[in-house]
Amino acid sequence: MAHADLVAPRPRRGALGSRWTPYVFLLPAAAYIVVFQAVPLLQEIYLSFTRTNLLNPTRSTWVGLDNYARIFASAHFRQTLLTTLVYVLACVVGAVGAVGSGLVVALLLNSSFPGRGIARALVTVPWAAPGIATALIATWMLNAQYGVLTRALRAVGVDVGESGVLDNPRLALAAVLVTTVWQLFPFVAVVLLSALQAVPAELVEAARMDGAGSGWVFRAVTWPVIRPTVGLIALLMTIWSLRRFELIWLMTRGGPLGRTRTLVIDLYSQAFDSKQLGAAAAVGMVGIVIALVVVAGSRAVARAAERTA
Amino acid sequence: MAARHLLRTPLAATALVLAAGLTFTACSSGGGSDEAGGDGPVTVTFAASTFGDPGLGPRLKSLVDTYNSSQTAVKIEPAAVPFPTFGQTVLTQMGGGEGPDLVRFDMPEFTAAADAGLLEQLDEQVDTAGLQLQPGPDQYMKIDGKRYGIVFDTSNYVMYYNIDLVKTPPKTFDEFMATAKKTTKGDVYGLAFRQTQAEENGVWQDIFNYVYGFGGAWSDGTNLTLNKAENVKGLEAYQSLYDAGVIPKGADAATFRKMFAQNKVGMELNNGGYLVATRGTNPDLKFSVAPIPFPVRAQGAIMAPIVINTNSEHKDQAADFIEWVLKSENQTALQEALGASSVATVTQRSAKQLEETPFLPVYDGLTNSSAPQIVLGFGPKTADIRKIVVTQVIAALQGQQTMAQAMDKAQDEASKIVG
Repeated sequence: MAHADLVAPRPRRGALGSRWTPYVFLLPAAAYIVVFQAVPLLQEIYLSFTRTNLLNPTRSTWVGLDNYARIFASAHFRQTLLTTLVYVLACVVGAVGAVGSGLVVALLLNSSFPGRGIARALVTVPWAAPGIATALIATWMLNAQYGVLTRALRAVGVDVGESGVLDNPRLALAAVLVTTVWQLFPFVAVVLLSALQAVPAELVEAARMDGAGSGWVFRAVTWPVIRPTVGLIALLMTIWSLRRFELIWLMTRGGPLGRTRTLVIDLYSQAFDSKQLGAAAAVGMVGIVIALVVVAGSRAVARAAERTA
Repeated sequence: MAARHLLRTPLAATALVLAAGLTFTACSSGGGSDEAGGDGPVTVTFAASTFGDPGLGPRLKSLVDTYNSSQTAVKIEPAAVPFPTFGQTVLTQMGGGEGPDLVRFDMPEFTAAADAGLLEQLDEQVDTAGLQLQPGPDQYMKIDGKRYGIVFDTSNYVMYYNIDLVKTPPKTFDEFMATAKKTTKGDVYGLAFRQTQAEENGVWQDIFNYVYGFGGAWSDGTNLTLNKAENVKGLEAYQSLYDAGVIPKGADAATFRKMFAQNKVGMELNNGGYLVATRGTNPDLKFSVAPIPFPVRAQGAIMAPIVINTNSEHKDQAADFIEWVLKSENQTALQEALGASSVATVTQRSAKQLEETPFLPVYDGLTNSSAPQIVLGFGPKTADIRKIVVTQVIAALQGQQTMAQAMDKAQDEASKIVG
């Protein structure tokens, strides 16, 4: 065999064959990440070490860790942190419920029945509705005087207090949480539906031919395919819960008595009520650290699951 | 599978964190700018939340049109920014070196902007010599002896009462309580006020009348006096009404104002702006006003100065407009447009206006005993102090502490903030 035949043909170096081509394709995404994510993030990190007033943002003073020391010394911030963790934890628990019920709905929607298209469209309504509309509708339904849910709760003997659910320190967070899960539920169902549709039909059929029941088919065929999607959904729901603003702001503004005041509400309040951008950035950094921990934890769980698979 | 890949790729995971982190990034938005046409008139932007008010907006724009048609050198361009986000929007623009040329601010934003050096000093720019300025409101237009604003309008707080429910307006607090109790039956309430955290600013406006009406004050101009005995007394009066079950608890302002229009609320403390709004949406509603029946004739007011943005490139033209507004005939026109509000100078109501609204003198008689809803001497910190006070007051309403304890806590917390 001639030497020339043993050597692999050199890659073409045309316009699309250059070794720089992959980098060129990556450039727009990299530029986007740098300009719209990395630079603001670095700016925020810097801002968190300064005393900067919203009304004079160009005249900032370097204060080192002072903003962090101040916020952690504040009893209100510690309560905010606790409320955030409770809210996120409750959302994760709620998310498990939503994933479970989303899975049931997704399985139903994946089966064949008359009006399936309409049912699929209807399920997406809460997710498709703007967050502001969702918050306003929930607020109206929970209005202390004429809210339909308030009346229903009172009718079944639930003590919502004279001032209603959203002004009741015991119930406000729960009300926000239920609304959150209601809003997220269709997303879970639709994403799971798309994952279910990726399950190879021939594998399902083969399992059935081998005598596997529905439960076993789900465990052995369906679950391994959709498990990464479920993990991603759980992660996203956690992060979204951590950074959710408009729903909480419009429903309670962080009240009553700070019971629904999460980090993002505190950030907004520091930046726009107190006009302290430095302190707001420090609050934001605490949120980022929590997000990092959540992502790292999620990756560890995913790796552990892969090892056991 | 894509999801699995996403979770496994460090770069993608980092991007996810960055995306999550973006939400926590405090950011500000830039503002608009004004333009000067090459040969045409100079455009001067004038931002006011009231331009967007369905009742007041067209009247104020008509006044601006009158100015625009009176000369050819300057064109005032009204900019309506919604009230709830007005201060935040305009202050952020100004902090970024931009913003409208002229602004009608509320007092908390006015003091914050003046403190940050964002307002043009008007001592040299606007000639007020010879004007009969209303002394009460005008005293708040100067900070450290320097004038930063001219009163555009002052809307005093009065007691509105529904004539179908309350025949004789109460004159003392005891009568006020008795009337509220007597009127409350079934789904009809004697009184309404804001009492929820979601309406923090509204609660502050409402309790302001109780504090000042019982002889209190948030500060003496130098030190905070949040836990002053008179303040506690006023707030206990507010709480006694809450506890008496004479208000629709949990109802927000939009709800109880609708109830007032439906003859389901007998009395409400509100400012002059409410007159135009209520008349506009409920022309058949029979109501009147009286001074707030508290021991001391002192109440809050929505005081709105007109100011010149220090970033403006058209300060002289902006000042010319302010001087035009201050002319006697234009003050009369402005007062007529505003309805129940007062203007910068002492101005007579027309016979026609008095015939349409015979109780207008009630508002006017309160102009010099009204105070802006800020903490005097601590204007730029008002928002922080407000949050503390309202949170503590609501905790007291909900039975977690006494009002005296609430104000002691508020005093401690607020003192740490103001230093």
